[in-house]
Amino acid sequence: MTKWVLKGLQTGIKTTAYPDNVEPAAGVSPGRPRWASIFGGSAEEVVRRCPTGALSHTGQRISVDYRRCVHCFRCLRGLKIPLFWEPGYEWAASVSTEDSADRRIGKAFSHSLHIRFVDGGACGACLSEIEQINKPYYNIHRLGFFVTPTPREADIMLVAGPVTDHLRLPVRKAYEAMPRPKRVIAVGACALSGGVFGPSFASGAGIAEFIPVDIGVPGCPPPPLAIVHGLLLAVSRKPSASLLFRESTAERKT
Amino acid sequence: MMEPTVFFFLFLALCFLGVILSLLLPERLNPLVLAGVASLAAVSILLASGMILLMGGPFRVELWRPLPEWGMMVLAMDRLSALFVFVTGLVLLPVSIFSAGYMPKYLGRYNLKTFGAFYHVLFAATVLVLVSGDIFSFLLAWECASIFCYLLINFEHDREDTTRAGFLMLAMSEAGTLAAAVGLLLLVGASGALELRALRAGPAEMSQTLRWSVFLLSFFGFGVKAGLVPVNSWLPRAHPAAPGNVSAVLSGVIVNLGIYGIMRVNVDLLPMTSAGPGLVVLLVGALSALIGVLYANVEHNLKTMLAHHTVEQMGIVTIGLGAGLVFVATGHPVIATMAFIAAVYHMTNHSLYKALLFVSAASVDTTVGVRDIDRLGGLIKRMPWTAFFFLIGAISLVALPPFNGFVSEWLTFQVLLRSAELSSTGTKIVFALCGAGLALTAALAVTCFVKAFAMSFLGAGRSSEVAQAREAPRSMVAPMAVLAALCLLLGVLPTYVIPVLDEVVTPLTGTKAVDALVPPFFATSPQHQKLSPGFAAEFRDLGAQTGQGILPGRGLVILHRGSEKNPVVFAMSTSYSLVMLVLLLGGSYLCVHALTRARRVVRKPAWDGGVRRLLPEMTYTATGFSNPVRVVFNAIFRPSTVEDTKETVAEHFRTAIKNGRKEEHIVDRSVFRPVIKMVESAARLFGQMHSGSVNAYAAYILMCLICLLVIQLLL
Amino acid sequence: MMDKPLAHLGGLRNLLEEVARQWPEKIRVTPFLEKSLCQIECPASELVTVCSWLFAERGYSFAGLEVEDRISEWNLRYLFYGDLGDGQVHLLQRISKTEPSLPSISHRIHAADWHEREVEDLFGLAFEGHPRLGDFVLHEEWPEGVNPMRADFDARKPYPHREVDPEWRPLRVVQAPGAFMMPIGPVYSDFAESAHFLLETVGEDVIRTIPRFFYKYRGVEKIAEGRAVNQVLLLAERFSGSSAFAHSLAFCQAVEEISGLEVPERGKNLRLFLAELERLRHHVSAIAGICGSTALAVATSQASILEEELLRLSCALTGHRYLFGLNTPGGLAVDFSNEALQGLAATVQSLWEKLDELKEMLRFSSSFLDRLEEVGIVSQEQAVAYGLVGPVARASGIARDLRKALPYCSYEKVEMNVPCEIEGDGYARLRVLFSEAEESANLIRQVASSIPSGPVLSPAFPVPSGEALGWAEAPRGATFHWVRTEEDGRVARYRLITPSFTNWHGFHLAAEDFAFQDFPIIMATFGLSNAEADR
Repeated sequence: MTKWVLKGLQTGIKTTAYPDNVEPAAGVSPGRPRWASIFGGSAEEVVRRCPTGALSHTGQRISVDYRRCVHCFRCLRGLKIPLFWEPGYEWAASVSTEDSADRRIGKAFSHSLHIRFVDGGACGACLSEIEQINKPYYNIHRLGFFVTPTPREADIMLVAGPVTDHLRLPVRKAYEAMPRPKRVIAVGACALSGGVFGPSFASGAGIAEFIPVDIGVPGCPPPPLAIVHGLLLAVSRKPSASLLFRESTAERKT
Repeated sequence: MMEPTVFFFLFLALCFLGVILSLLLPERLNPLVLAGVASLAAVSILLASGMILLMGGPFRVELWRPLPEWGMMVLAMDRLSALFVFVTGLVLLPVSIFSAGYMPKYLGRYNLKTFGAFYHVLFAATVLVLVSGDIFSFLLAWECASIFCYLLINFEHDREDTTRAGFLMLAMSEAGTLAAAVGLLLLVGASGALELRALRAGPAEMSQTLRWSVFLLSFFGFGVKAGLVPVNSWLPRAHPAAPGNVSAVLSGVIVNLGIYGIMRVNVDLLPMTSAGPGLVVLLVGALSALIGVLYANVEHNLKTMLAHHTVEQMGIVTIGLGAGLVFVATGHPVIATMAFIAAVYHMTNHSLYKALLFVSAASVDTTVGVRDIDRLGGLIKRMPWTAFFFLIGAISLVALPPFNGFVSEWLTFQVLLRSAELSSTGTKIVFALCGAGLALTAALAVTCFVKAFAMSFLGAGRSSEVAQAREAPRSMVAPMAVLAALCLLLGVLPTYVIPVLDEVVTPLTGTKAVDALVPPFFATSPQHQKLSPGFAAEFRDLGAQTGQGILPGRGLVILHRGSEKNPVVFAMSTSYSLVMLVLLLGGSYLCVHALTRARRVVRKPAWDGGVRRLLPEMTYTATGFSNPVRVVFNAIFRPSTVEDTKETVAEHFRTAIKNGRKEEHIVDRSVFRPVIKMVESAARLFGQMHSGSVNAYAAYILMCLICLLVIQLLL
Repeated sequence: MMDKPLAHLGGLRNLLEEVARQWPEKIRVTPFLEKSLCQIECPASELVTVCSWLFAERGYSFAGLEVEDRISEWNLRYLFYGDLGDGQVHLLQRISKTEPSLPSISHRIHAADWHEREVEDLFGLAFEGHPRLGDFVLHEEWPEGVNPMRADFDARKPYPHREVDPEWRPLRVVQAPGAFMMPIGPVYSDFAESAHFLLETVGEDVIRTIPRFFYKYRGVEKIAEGRAVNQVLLLAERFSGSSAFAHSLAFCQAVEEISGLEVPERGKNLRLFLAELERLRHHVSAIAGICGSTALAVATSQASILEEELLRLSCALTGHRYLFGLNTPGGLAVDFSNEALQGLAATVQSLWEKLDELKEMLRFSSSFLDRLEEVGIVSQEQAVAYGLVGPVARASGIARDLRKALPYCSYEKVEMNVPCEIEGDGYARLRVLFSEAEESANLIRQVASSIPSGPVLSPAFPVPSGEALGWAEAPRGATFHWVRTEEDGRVARYRLITPSFTNWHGFHLAAEDFAFQDFPIIMATFGLSNAEADR
């Protein structure tokens, strides 16, 4: 019995310093394409490479719809002038159609949040990244976030996967079983736009068709830090990123 | 005019009237006869016995001297009889009113006229057993009661299991009566008189062997009626086979006859000189309690489960009796009186809540028609009152405060703990074992009723018949309410019941125990002066004198005082508990109500993991719930596997896994099978005499004549 | 390590002779010996006999069933494979749509059971003699007679539902008084994939598990039809993201065979390197899952730390934590420097040492072993009958591994062992995971130290029309991807046979007569993925 305790003590603390500090380690995030203006190359060629329609352009200015980006890297590799790539992981954004700050859970939950994960047909990569948030490197317990196996005690529902046909009812039932106030975080490109599976006879175009979504965490899969960012955003401890088109003109203003 | 005898004869007259009316009036009016006449009869007998219970007036009616040598047939009611009669009336009053709504379901299928007649005769016979003053009328009334019991049990005579149960009941009842009769006759032989009160003179000269014989014969003989192990095989079969209201009568009244017989012979008439008989009684009681509750746990027919509980409860009463007998023999009369008080208190309580439970079960049976708990479920939504009263009965049975079962079972425990005052280590060990057995019984009883109540009334319905359930009519719900109220009353006001019971038991042991149990804290009580002032002052600070100006009686606290070093041996007050419960629960409710008044309440279906529909087969069954008990006590149940097959289609496709199990009751296995085998082999042995040859039979006759002549010569 | 003698009777050549001898006229055999493949066409009446013979006498494993709707007829392909030298045997059937019924082979080869049920649900093609067709992929709300995989079904639109029959009941097997079912899921536990289990019990032990899967059915095979190859590559990677590289590898190999391409040596070695990296990471994750299910918190944390470090290593080298976007038909989309590869190999070695320490500590934790030993046993006979694959099968004594049986990439050139255990219980499966992780670490080291130089990609596009089978030993077991392309380079039929599908079929064997609290442990030792099985 003691050998396990000693082993644990010997291993030391591995947990990331985020959100207090930036996480410097390599490999914590795959990064994502950055909206940009292309110089010396064809914007149309870059946009055509994207298989899910996440890229669009006006002239030489390329905009990115992060809800559709599945990290295939085709806008980065094999091109003479590839798209810019931004590292980082704070990707979560508030997506609710109601534009008030009321959609964020109040202060009472900011250090005491219960999370229920519902699998809406996810492939396994999103699930694996979500599992990491409870493991030593990310450890959301220190932030006051806990995972609960029942929606009755949950404040936040994390959903991944394009809701498949058979899972529409269970996801809906899980949502309705949660007491108020409740917020939904859609994790991954599939949950936001249907991903590569898209709308079809067997799956939907994102969970927003079935339950109201408050926060989206894009990525395929979003790294654990992005998911943590999403949770912190839900309790107003971190600001939102933007999911939608980022026109270069809009960026110039700020 | 207001003499008990008047009401007694009124009772007899009403019973007679009931018989006549039942037979003459058309069948559909029969339930009303039962409700009207029988309940009036119950009222009058309640008055009669109540008067004697409270005032102890003389009640002696000389009937008839059948033969000059035999003595008078006498009816006499002392306080012991009065208590039993009172309980009989208390049970039969609501049950008779219940019958008005219950019996119509048998219209057309069985003869209600005879039912009504038998019912009234049984009522009269039962009371006559209890008030018989001499052996002859006692045995006559006893047989009468047994036979009419059998007739009522056999009411649904088309069903095979009913007739078999009835036959078994009759056979065992006769065997028990025979044993008890022999025991009584031995007593008669020793004393030379027939009247019960005269039998007390006899035992002084009886030898040890004779005393033991009388004890064993009467104990096991009357034990048949009371449902004690090992002679209780008929009870779990017969009580459920009878119609619902008759089951209530059987479990609430007829088993008491057995207890009455045991008490009358062994406590009243036969003084105990050694602890041996008491220990036997104690052990039998503990065994009955344990076996009864174990089989109740694995039983999922509602009425059979309740019948097993009757065995258990009678076991607890017997534990009290046994403890009392031991204390009498070892010279602790006060504790002995306490033990007997506990025993009769428990008997009273049991009659009330068992009648309540059987009546609720009958109410369920009427509308749903299903007795198997595995096929019930969700009835609370459709029969809320029945469910509520069943719950009250269940809470009383598992001895939870502030209901009546708690008081008597708690008193029984405390009496067992008083074994500290005994000197013999062996006796103390037996007491300890029985105490442990009683504790285990109590725990298993809770398990059983959680299962019974939850599976029957809560959750989802498991069969289509449940959809037909409707709340019972008021004539059926009102008796349940009355019985439930009595359960609560006897639980909350034990300090008023115990003095009455004390008066009942004191003539048997010769010592009063009421001061040892209910100290007169109320200054208004006439016995208050007997209380030492220092003691009273201490307890005034603890609130023992609350209400003294308003309430009559001695006090609201049951308390047993000990020596200087240990002033309070045990103390309890269900009255205060009730007040506290009401305050706490009510207060919590009001707090929550006030705090959440602004909030919305949203009702959602239960979270089921997101399945499309939670089906009834996805919920726990009673068998599943009680399986751990079956597994832990496997040595007692010893199930034999009937079926254990795995059917496959085409080698790998498993289509069915069939498991079946059969269990034989431990008493049947260990007592009856051997007895039956012995009897059969003896019969076979004697059967060899029947060779079929006329010469042999002639020789037998000749030998018999010669033997008689020889005996005549010798004498 | 099988008791039954495997018929290595000269492999495929001998097979051809045997077939010619036993069924001289009725069967037509087309050998492709250079591909180690033999194609057999036989009449429907001989189907069961030939299949049983291949399975029982010749020791071939049944991989799966591929069906295609060809408007006027059904084309079926029964896929069998054996060890090195035995190659593959494909049994073809052409059934005209006017008489759509074939005999079922499930009573002889039980591994075909779920394949036949899936075909019946999705295609509407019934198999005679199969006792349990229906209510498999499409749940009870889908109307009868609607079969999504038929050519005339429009996959783009959602399909309206009908009302569920209120009398519908799930299948029950246990008949005992008081038997009931405990439902689990589809939404349950902290981080579980959506699947439904009904545990039949009479109150103490759970007697039988009845799973209901396909809650995560996304119709990948159907939506792939008509998409370009590089779009279907995305589907192949992402339908089971936790073993993305292996699946994309199998798909790419199928496309390369259609195109007749040879991947350059450096490309093959790198693919091996990355596949083993993925396997190592998956096994560490599975070990963490097993420790977590037994609630041994420190061990779970230790394994989780290693898992995250492997994910970060993968991302630092390739740009993605789960190795997405690397495989492409013809090779890899990126190359890495040898220094980077050797650096990663060194780090993997030190991670392996920590994993080895963990293995030793677990070996001496009796409370941990108590929960794994003799729990969830799958016997060798059962594993053979159900055709289990991967670490689950290797723990029950079946030493078959696609890396050795049908070598791909450059597996025939590296030294590797196939670890195998015989007990078939939870602890055996854990030991197999540790051993395979060790093998993966060794392979990574071997490749990093001796990788040849050169290009990593032979451009594959445009892809001609054709059909081919690609395969890989995914971390969970053998996976087969059957691809058929049309003239314009679009995929016409994409069949996915995944190890989780095969192994979930056998899960109920382990989950019989057990105590309820062992259920999560049995699930964790199997380490399967519903996404991979449901597709």
